[in-house]
Amino acid sequence: MLSMQNVAKIYRTDTVETHALRAFSMEVAEGEFVAVTGPSGSGKTTFLNIAGLLETFESGVYKLDGSDVSSLSDAKRSNVRNEKIGFIFQSFNLIPDLNVFDNVDVPLRYRGFKSAERKRRIESVLETVGLASRTKHLPSQLSGGQQQRVAIARALAGEPRFLLADEPTGNLDTQMAASVMALLTEINQRGTTIIMVTHDPSLAEQATRNIYIRDGQVSEDSSAETLSAPEAAA
Amino acid sequence: MEIGPIWRALTRNKTGAILIALQIAVTLAIIVNAVAIIQERSRLMARPSGVDEPNIFYLSSIGFGDDFNERVTIQEDLDAIRNTPGVVNAIQSNSVPLRGGGWSMGLQTEPGSESESSGVAVYFIDEHGLDTYGLELVAGENFTAADVNWREPQAVEWPDKVLLTQAMAETLYPDGFMEALGNTVYINGNEPMTVTGIIKQMQAPWNGWNGVERVMLVPQHTLFGSTRYIVRTEPGQRDRLMPEIEDMLAERSRDRIIRGMTTMEETRERSYQGDSGMVGILIFVVSLLTAITALGIVGLASFSVSRRTRQIGTRRALGATKPAILRYFMTENFLISIIGVLVGAALAIGLNMWMVQAFSLTPLGWYLVPVAMVLLLIVGQIAVLGPARRAASVPPAVATRTV
Amino acid sequence: MFSYYIKLGWLSIRRNPILSILMVSAIAVGIGACMTVLTVNYLMSSNPIPHKSDQLFYVQVDSWDPNGFDENTEPVDQLTYIDAMNLMKAGKAFRQVASNRSGLVLEPSSEDERPFLVDARTTHADFFPMFDLPFLYGAGWDKSADDAQEQVVVLSREINERVFGGEDSVGKRVTMNGLNFRVVGVIDEWMPVPKFYDVTNGAFNLPEDVYIPFSVGVANQLSRNGNTNCWKEPDGEGFEAFLAGECVWIQFWAELRNEQEKEAYMSFLNAYAEEQKALGRFPRPLNNRLRNVMEWMEHQEVVEEDAQVMLWLSMLFLLVCLLNTIGLLLAKFLGKAGDIGLRRALGATKGTLFIQHLIESAMIGLAGGVLGLGLTWLGLKGVQRLFGDFLTHLATMDWVMVTTAIGLAIVSALLAGLYPTWRACNIAPASQLKTQ
Repeated sequence: MLSMQNVAKIYRTDTVETHALRAFSMEVAEGEFVAVTGPSGSGKTTFLNIAGLLETFESGVYKLDGSDVSSLSDAKRSNVRNEKIGFIFQSFNLIPDLNVFDNVDVPLRYRGFKSAERKRRIESVLETVGLASRTKHLPSQLSGGQQQRVAIARALAGEPRFLLADEPTGNLDTQMAASVMALLTEINQRGTTIIMVTHDPSLAEQATRNIYIRDGQVSEDSSAETLSAPEAAA
Repeated sequence: MEIGPIWRALTRNKTGAILIALQIAVTLAIIVNAVAIIQERSRLMARPSGVDEPNIFYLSSIGFGDDFNERVTIQEDLDAIRNTPGVVNAIQSNSVPLRGGGWSMGLQTEPGSESESSGVAVYFIDEHGLDTYGLELVAGENFTAADVNWREPQAVEWPDKVLLTQAMAETLYPDGFMEALGNTVYINGNEPMTVTGIIKQMQAPWNGWNGVERVMLVPQHTLFGSTRYIVRTEPGQRDRLMPEIEDMLAERSRDRIIRGMTTMEETRERSYQGDSGMVGILIFVVSLLTAITALGIVGLASFSVSRRTRQIGTRRALGATKPAILRYFMTENFLISIIGVLVGAALAIGLNMWMVQAFSLTPLGWYLVPVAMVLLLIVGQIAVLGPARRAASVPPAVATRTV
Repeated sequence: MFSYYIKLGWLSIRRNPILSILMVSAIAVGIGACMTVLTVNYLMSSNPIPHKSDQLFYVQVDSWDPNGFDENTEPVDQLTYIDAMNLMKAGKAFRQVASNRSGLVLEPSSEDERPFLVDARTTHADFFPMFDLPFLYGAGWDKSADDAQEQVVVLSREINERVFGGEDSVGKRVTMNGLNFRVVGVIDEWMPVPKFYDVTNGAFNLPEDVYIPFSVGVANQLSRNGNTNCWKEPDGEGFEAFLAGECVWIQFWAELRNEQEKEAYMSFLNAYAEEQKALGRFPRPLNNRLRNVMEWMEHQEVVEEDAQVMLWLSMLFLLVCLLNTIGLLLAKFLGKAGDIGLRRALGATKGTLFIQHLIESAMIGLAGGVLGLGLTWLGLKGVQRLFGDFLTHLATMDWVMVTTAIGLAIVSALLAGLYPTWRACNIAPASQLKTQ
């Protein structure tokens, strides 16, 4: 599903060079729910950006769903993001001027679906996250948990092969966080691969696999002990 | 990218959009009306004076002193000017078209003070007049030397013959200007004059007069103390001959002053100075205003882009390509501009109706409004291009940045 | 506190230099356009003789053609020789002046210098005290000089400069049109705008070069350089017939110090008209007018229509510039939402924030006003170039205009700043403190 081989990413400013990822390698199989943890500055967010094709990298090979996406053009990468990846952000990143329906609609528009198809998908996915009755609400009229559910719905609407979640519960209280985690687990159990970046060990425990990043490299990977887990989940 | 969500997002952030739309609206109203005025003035300025403007200049000779003989001086001056190589012809006359000052009388087709008379500009010429001014005789015949006599300062008598312009002939004989030929018209109520010829076109000295093409040519030299010579030169000779003739006339007699050496081209320029000044200012205003409005669009769009950076990043992360982001901002501007130009069209027409009433301007041409609308839409699109491109270059990774 | 706000304003202006420049130039351009046109209009409609404009009256007695007369018809705009002389002789006003524009050939005494033309006004003794001409040397002439057709002359400063090198020339002689004139006075710089005493021949012309008695002009049949209109031909040839005819070419002013004098003069005019009717003149119904300086300027539509059109367009222009500024200020203030929220959280009241942002707007306005003044100056230069001599003395700035420009700029900027400031002050303190 996802394969990174010796990926390196360097951030340069006038004075400093930061090696955010160095010879970073990892494999994620279809249907896995991977939690990526690590101290701040370890390269978690860089990994997420590269995995989500939000950033390019200096060297190495990244294969997504079997095809090499290392050196795609900007437009191609947009299309891949749109079709194969769903994003869930820590601060939800809902568009404040658009209501719930229009927010979920955003990736579908870029996908080029017909109006009826979009409507069907939006309604069904809002049903899934339990917000079917809130289509006309603006983000500011929703609680944090509800906003994140809209964001999840938006990520799911395009039926992506895998979800990238960046601290999905970081801005939520414990109760809401639990319900969001339950939702993600449910989604994973329906077959969507999930990679979740978090600093919270208790959240990481709920994933089927844990990867610990330190200094831009994978330093621990729980897949050794739980090799059978993906099959079980699938 | 469809309009629906852009429009709905716009309605949530009305104020900025309304300000831009209003700005575009007022700009359109001003531009349309300014261009209407420019057109009106240009039309006025484009009217031909009827004379050979590029090759004509004129000057005044003012005699003083007791031993100054005006009659002899005029005859000798004219002979000398006409014999100067490069001069086509020359006459003494009271004025030239566009000069601003001149003589006007009233003509009527029936004698008596009860009959309505029509105002007409008077030029005193001799048999060289048509050639000097470069006028075209469409019917009848030119004056002969025998027709020309001398007019004293306070004279009230008029000669027997007169030439009229086609426009004046038509004013007197609405059935057709040819009717005038050979007919008798009356000056000063009951003094008869015979129309012996018709001139195609010539303007009166006052370009603002609504009867500007109503002119009569009278075969007389004037003895008014101050006299004006009109000189027509061969093409290209004018500038050389002007100082030459001025010097020659000054040399010929010490008892007079030569002044007011002016070309027809200068006269036209001065005559329309107010109009061309107005046109200049309005062109400046129109361009400046368009620039200001464009800058306003740039400013507000830039701000809205920087305020929406995260949103743009999110859209990019969700799969928007760069062109899609570009299109988003262009479309947004287009929607705002459309409203602006629609309101502006109404405003422009209203303003014009009011100005037509208050300042007797001519109503604007119907096509000006749509042309200006399209133009401003294009200006808007060009103005927003910069900020929109900046928006398109927002990296998608902005979405995951924690601020 | 005020200086603190100024400092905050300055910091904020510096934070977005491009945006600030954009706002300042928008206001500057608007002010520049508006003030250029306003200056021209203001000068066109200014009062040329403010301290006594309501005591000077332009006299119209209607000697004109009865054809086409209805109750809305204005009397003819100048007087005939007969009427002007009769009114002068009657002398019913505190002061009265009949005058006309003429041109003379001045022959310098030295042989090397060629004769040249001067603009002349043939007028009466009262002209000088009535219109308050400032004298550099000498004074005007006496009424006796009018009656005796004395060849006396008052020179303008420029002509005195040219002919006598600027020295006190009172008592010297100057030859014009072959006549020998004695200089009685030299006037200092005098430039009434509009040239109210003779708008018939151009409201924005320059004053004349020399002034001589009206009677001398008539006696020597000097040329008339102004408008002459006749509604019927004189009976017979020659200058005498012309003077006796129904041709108007003379401007007549009367100085009437109060309402009683004005009323008395009006009834005198009406009685005069009746008298003339008895003599077979004045075929129209009684139709006389007394208009004071400003009424006369307005009636003569001294302010050019073009200038008025431009005034309206420039107002709209300023409106566009203000809309521009409102938009930019709004964007800017809302962009500072975080800062404002923080200040609110730290205890700033809405009122203090309001003042802070209004002061920032006013600073932008002040900068715009100063820059706008510069643009106005440039604009006036441009107007002069486009319109030529006609506007040279209409395109100057005085202190009234300078203060108006700065004031207008600040008021405009404050108005433009009002709504954005109000919006900014209503930002909830909490909403901006969360992350995002």
